[in-house]
Amino acid sequence: MDKDPQKGYIALLGWSLNAVEAAENFDRRYVVVAPDWAEDYCQKHDIPYVSWNFERLNDRSMEIAETLKKMGVDVAVPLYEETVEWAGAINSVLLDNPRLYGQSLLLRDKALMKRRAQLGGIRVGIFEEAHDKGDVIRFLKRVNQTLLKLDGDPNDPIHLKAFDKAGCLGHRVIRTPDEVDSIPDEEFPVLMESHLDGWEFAVEAWIHDGKIAFLNISEYVTLGYSVFVPASPDLEAYRPQITAQIEKLIKAFDIEFGLIHPEYFVTSDGEMYFGEVAYRPPGFKVFELLERVYGFNAYQASMLVFDPKATPEEVARFFPREIEDANGYAGCFGVYPRRRVVSKLEIPEEVEDHPYFESHELTPPVEETVTKRTAFGTHWGLVYFKGPDSHQLRDLLKHQEDLDYYV
Amino acid sequence: MLPAVTADDDKLKGLLEKLDEATALLAAARDFAKPGKLPRVLDTARRVMLHPDGCAAMAPRARVLEEAGVFAGSDWASPQILVPALTPHSLASADANTVVIEALSELRLLAVAHGEYRHPLISAEQAHHYLTQVIAINLTLLFGAATEAERETQGRLAQLPRNLFQYLTERIGYEHVIDQLIEEIWRILEQRPIQVDALKSMITQIATCQADPDIDLGASGQGANRLVSALFSPTRGCQEDPGIAVYRERLGSMDPSALQSEATGFARAMHDTGLVSPYHPVLLRFLLDQGDHLLTEALGLSATGRDCLLCYRDLVHALIRACVHPPTAQATYGLALLLERGILYQPSMAPALLRQLGLQLSDWSQARLTLAFGDAVSPRARLLEGVLCMLGQPLGVGQGNNPTCQSARALSMWAYSDPDYLLQMVAWAARDDEIIMHFEGQPISSRESEGGVATTLPLDLDPVSLLVVPHLDRIYAEMGRRCVDREGDPHRWVNPEFHGWWSGRGFRINVDVATGHLADMDAFLRHFYASYHPYYNGDLPLIHPQPAGIAVTDSAARFIGWHAITLLRVNIDPTDVMRAYFYNPNNDSGQDWGDGIRVSTAGNGERFGESSLPFEEFASRLYIFHYDPLERGELAQVAQEELDRVIARIHRSWGADRIPATELQASEGPHV
Repeated sequence: MDKDPQKGYIALLGWSLNAVEAAENFDRRYVVVAPDWAEDYCQKHDIPYVSWNFERLNDRSMEIAETLKKMGVDVAVPLYEETVEWAGAINSVLLDNPRLYGQSLLLRDKALMKRRAQLGGIRVGIFEEAHDKGDVIRFLKRVNQTLLKLDGDPNDPIHLKAFDKAGCLGHRVIRTPDEVDSIPDEEFPVLMESHLDGWEFAVEAWIHDGKIAFLNISEYVTLGYSVFVPASPDLEAYRPQITAQIEKLIKAFDIEFGLIHPEYFVTSDGEMYFGEVAYRPPGFKVFELLERVYGFNAYQASMLVFDPKATPEEVARFFPREIEDANGYAGCFGVYPRRRVVSKLEIPEEVEDHPYFESHELTPPVEETVTKRTAFGTHWGLVYFKGPDSHQLRDLLKHQEDLDYYV
Repeated sequence: MLPAVTADDDKLKGLLEKLDEATALLAAARDFAKPGKLPRVLDTARRVMLHPDGCAAMAPRARVLEEAGVFAGSDWASPQILVPALTPHSLASADANTVVIEALSELRLLAVAHGEYRHPLISAEQAHHYLTQVIAINLTLLFGAATEAERETQGRLAQLPRNLFQYLTERIGYEHVIDQLIEEIWRILEQRPIQVDALKSMITQIATCQADPDIDLGASGQGANRLVSALFSPTRGCQEDPGIAVYRERLGSMDPSALQSEATGFARAMHDTGLVSPYHPVLLRFLLDQGDHLLTEALGLSATGRDCLLCYRDLVHALIRACVHPPTAQATYGLALLLERGILYQPSMAPALLRQLGLQLSDWSQARLTLAFGDAVSPRARLLEGVLCMLGQPLGVGQGNNPTCQSARALSMWAYSDPDYLLQMVAWAARDDEIIMHFEGQPISSRESEGGVATTLPLDLDPVSLLVVPHLDRIYAEMGRRCVDREGDPHRWVNPEFHGWWSGRGFRINVDVATGHLADMDAFLRHFYASYHPYYNGDLPLIHPQPAGIAVTDSAARFIGWHAITLLRVNIDPTDVMRAYFYNPNNDSGQDWGDGIRVSTAGNGERFGESSLPFEEFASRLYIFHYDPLERGELAQVAQEELDRVIARIHRSWGADRIPATELQASEGPHV
């Protein structure tokens, strides 16, 4: 697509083919900043590219910011959790705003993040950092004492998460002190949280000029397995409260622009609890789902709201109307093999014949023995569904958990 | 019924909408993003084509799909080089995407053939020709349900190729298909393979088509008459295909002249086609009590064969009694050719065959034979049939769909040059489940060696190969393992030890094993000419078949892999061209190796089972040969011009990316 030199010049931090494709088809100049293994590919396909290995921030960090500045780049957009603080550091140079770096560090550390949210008047569950197994056992006991459990009552579980990893990576659920032994020492330190019984959902909010430009609610059917957009009318009923929560978040973290991806719980009494927030595209291909129902490209949306040269009018023109403009509900299901030994991929007939079934990205098994899942683990691929009824879609996604895709 | 049909139609409509949407996304995507959009197109196309009317709905979309980039970057993007013989493999693939791409390619070519789509790379006539060949070679898909094997690997997907061929045949017309198929069957039969079951079932299908009043074959199918009659009604006595029992009864009431005419009828049909009718064994068994004259006639023997039969009368009778039955009819052909070869006069052969007659098969051998061939006859009779066929048709051995060309070549070579050694191998494998060979003085047991080249046990082989190949394959691989530490290509040591003393200990290779680059081209070729070309070796004929290695290329002359063949003879052909005649363990030797090189199997002086190429063309695919170091003469004074032609052919094909930097400069020098 023809590039408009009046508009911003954008650096994409990290390698994502979908993001590159979106940038190619967008009217803004762009450059991919990615490790050197992407170089050949970019050269072959004429993709603008700067080589950079995103290790820990160090004294060479200024170098990439200076390089991009010299090239005339206006802003950097992080594509992965690991590049969020890089974007903060680079943008503090490009936009001459040192505060952006501090903000990015807040958004990278789950414990700091929760504290900041708490200070901003946002409700969070009970949480604490753990440095060793002893801390975990103490926290598990204390949480359950608080809940007035007696000895012998089944414990309420607690959740363990890595400080700085995306989504479900390193996420474990611990119910008994015995289970603590299974945590490898190298995973510490971790963040521990009490378990909240409730309805978990995520939000993707594009923010421009400190205001919400577009707010999507992604409804989880089962955490780590399935999600769909837009949310069902039952959850959308909370939209005003959710919008208020996001505005609080924008204020607490002092966010002027960008895409935020927070997670919340609604408890049965309608109270919202903040889980965490990420400053990058969500996992589970939610961007693809949004494009399926709304038709706009979410990567382009992010580039737009990051661009300091974007006008409020252009931003308003870009986004569709929430809910009203969606042409259905799109969801996806992450497949985990259910058997210990599998030999082939076989999409269940009832799925194939279902009118909501769209496509899948599963591949035949490479190994016959399925590795036992320790933490939440990684699914083997996603299956996509789309249809006009959110309840039917939700039940369908739930039902997938009882099906064998690998036999 | 009506509502159900509507629901079905709705489903197809929904799927087509999804497909069109996915196709549009693929078409709009940049080249680098296309691979990410392709799976959804293929998966949706698969679901469309699983619908009974799906292929018809898909055909008009074929062009859009191709233009969207469905074939980009694959062989299917160049339809002019596609080989019909490969389609059965892709259509039977367990990988759904392979099946779908192959099916889409066929539908696209259908549009091209009908002039609905002008393709830049292939004409309507070419497309039509290609499709008829594809349908002919996949004719099994038109008839009957999926086999157990297909169901196991493909599941529901097995229905897709069937839907496709149903539709293709409706559009192309049966009449084209049948003629093509008949030509194909004759072409393969001219190579006289040992395994003819697939051919027999294709002929049966044609016969069924001809008999089906719903199929209008028009004027086509005439060429099948000989094939159908050879199988089902070769003589007056079984003219109307009366069934075995009736025919046996009829024989009892025939006078000598009627029996004589039955005998010559069967013999002619058998030698014409290489196929044996199930009625033929009935006559043979009947004639055992009628005098050897008629038996000779029924086997169609010449003076050589007749002498041999009379000389070893009791043995031949015993062989017929033991293994010639209607389900093992091909044994008749094997026996006839065995007698014609005169190999029974070798002193060891008669006793070796007597051992074979009484051989106690191990439980394992019996189980394998029964699994592969069923239990219509005893495993011992089945193996004996295989032995007779292999001894009678040494060049009819095929490797099946297995990577065991070396073992197939060895069996063929032994059957040809050292038949009693072959019988010894069969006895060890079938009775003892173990073969021991020696490598440089060290024994190698097939039982103790770990894996061979093939990872699974083969089932698609003749009875002898079925039992012996797994042993040979492990021994061959073990010999290779014992050479890992040596510099250079292991075939140098393995081939002579594996195949026999007559494989020359001298060895040349034109590829540098370490770098994979071409090496030493000039000397290699001069040496080859000096050893094998009659003009340069003192007009010496080849005495024993020699193992050789070729670089197989596809019809676009691209390298496919290394392959083992046997060089049989080098002679002037009927048109005064010097040709190399060789045996290729691959099941169909008529292959297009690209750059104008088409391996011939008939019409250029080939004997049954031989492949041939003009000497130059053969030399351009050769990468390994053996020679007798003591007989080695001077390097041949071959005209540089001729060598340059051969080398140019190598550079244009399998050597294209193996040219070392220096040689490239040297060879490009004159053009710059």
